[in-house]
Amino acid sequence: MSRWRGARGYAAQARLFLAPYLVGAVVLVVLPALATVVIAFTKFRGVGGPEFVGFNNFRALFDSFYVRTGLWNTLIFVVVAVPLRLVAALLLALLLQSRGRMFGLYRAAVYVPTVVPEVAYALIWLWVFNPVYGPLNLGMTALGLPAPAWLSDPVTARLAIVLMMSFQIGEGFVVLLAGLRSVPRSFYEAARVDGAGAWQAFWRITLPLITPWLLLLTFRDLIMSLQNTFTPSFVLTYGGPYYATTFAPLLIYEIAFDFFDFGMAAALLLLLYVVMAAVVLGILKLVTQLGGQGDV
Amino acid sequence: MSDLRPRLRAVLGFLVSVLFVLPFYWAVVASFGNSEAGVQATIEWWPSNPRWDNYAELFRVVPMARYTLNSLLVVLAAVPITLLVASLAGFGMSQLEPELRQQMVRANVVLLLVPGAAVWLFRFQIINWLGLLDSLWALVLPAFAASNPLFVLLYYWAFRRLPDEMYEAARLDGAGALTSWWRLALPLTVPTTIGVVVLTFALYWGDFISPVLYIFDPLSYTLPIGLQIIKQLGFQNVSLLMAAAVFITLPVLVLFFVLQRYFLHEWLD
Repeated sequence: MSRWRGARGYAAQARLFLAPYLVGAVVLVVLPALATVVIAFTKFRGVGGPEFVGFNNFRALFDSFYVRTGLWNTLIFVVVAVPLRLVAALLLALLLQSRGRMFGLYRAAVYVPTVVPEVAYALIWLWVFNPVYGPLNLGMTALGLPAPAWLSDPVTARLAIVLMMSFQIGEGFVVLLAGLRSVPRSFYEAARVDGAGAWQAFWRITLPLITPWLLLLTFRDLIMSLQNTFTPSFVLTYGGPYYATTFAPLLIYEIAFDFFDFGMAAALLLLLYVVMAAVVLGILKLVTQLGGQGDV
Repeated sequence: MSDLRPRLRAVLGFLVSVLFVLPFYWAVVASFGNSEAGVQATIEWWPSNPRWDNYAELFRVVPMARYTLNSLLVVLAAVPITLLVASLAGFGMSQLEPELRQQMVRANVVLLLVPGAAVWLFRFQIINWLGLLDSLWALVLPAFAASNPLFVLLYYWAFRRLPDEMYEAARLDGAGALTSWWRLALPLTVPTTIGVVVLTFALYWGDFISPVLYIFDPLSYTLPIGLQIIKQLGFQNVSLLMAAAVFITLPVLVLFFVLQRYFLHEWLD
């Protein structure tokens, strides 16, 4: 009887260990995220109470040229950068999964751009992209290639931000390495016995088995694009030239903390969140119909 | 892909890893240069006349020592709090019944999908109400929610890998949950702790968004804001900017390279 009580006491203590984290997560993450949903339908300028205004904020969003431009940029960024980052992480994981001697070091090297502090990373690329004395254009000129204006031209500025962020893929890279390691080796041996080449083994065995990981990373990267362009576009271009690098996070920041229109900023966040949820559900449905594993 | 010739794979692997560290290497070389003396017409691969003066100059143009101290204080508070909250939560999760455990894992994955931008607006209000605007505690605050749900999951997975019988035996010997966590679980999961320390350090040391949002008093600026100020002062002095970038990056990189073999291997095997 006392042992039973001891076990129960132990379980209760262990549950108590969750309390600090749960309180912290609710106060600092869950409540603020939910509050955003409410604030989206109010006029709220930080001082005084919020005042209910229905869908006015959403109307104001679509009326604003600045917001429309920012949303268009965000769409371009997501369509180009998310697949690029995913494919790069997958190719690197396939290349560097070897257990060879130097490969531990190579894997660590690939992680470097991910741990470099964001501002430092942005400053380094600010110089790399310098059209006159930056190493990138010096190198391109030496190879006889044209020297683009990079950050001072709207088209190449967007490309530049995509390019620099294509190296910050450490998280996806590590997740896919773990995914590849979880594929049983016997599958490959069986495939080889059956006469399948490396190419076939990749399409028939590796890819289907790591699809859930790829999906998870796609969703995370999609959602993180609401945040991870902030520092690059803040430090490198501050949204310019001609608003070409004003992406969602900078847009939200400007509306909230420069114009002090928290209601409109919250409406923009909510809108983006709903669109992304729709995209995520769409992809999941598509994958299920294509015969992938539905239980992701 | 497994029969891609080993030698080709080794060469490609080497080239790729060079590509990923190349910009940082260029920055180190440039930080020892003298860009005021004139613009280089070719890429510099080695500092011809290494000058340490750029690093000293950093401390002359902005209060770099103050920024460094503030960043250190934030990290010194945030890392232990994160370790405590995340490991306690991970342990609590690992001792739950299987069903609840799965629900907690799902809840953490959902939390992982909440971007920082979604909480900026209201967290600003909370920090304001707590009277913590301009205080370094505003920057430490996320540590009380384990900084990143991933850290809780990492501890949870590490604690789950330990055999159930071990916890059972300790419990029968009269050990409470606190003893199990501190004496049994934590000492057996040191690689996880090392990994969380490195990632948490990098997170707070390089945090740019939080001070931009919550800190307006120059006395509380941290290093990332210091870098932005040096840039905004309008210096065309590339060597100085690169010295600043290297100065803030070096501690993270040293920590990462010294410790990565303890946790990257652990997580991948």
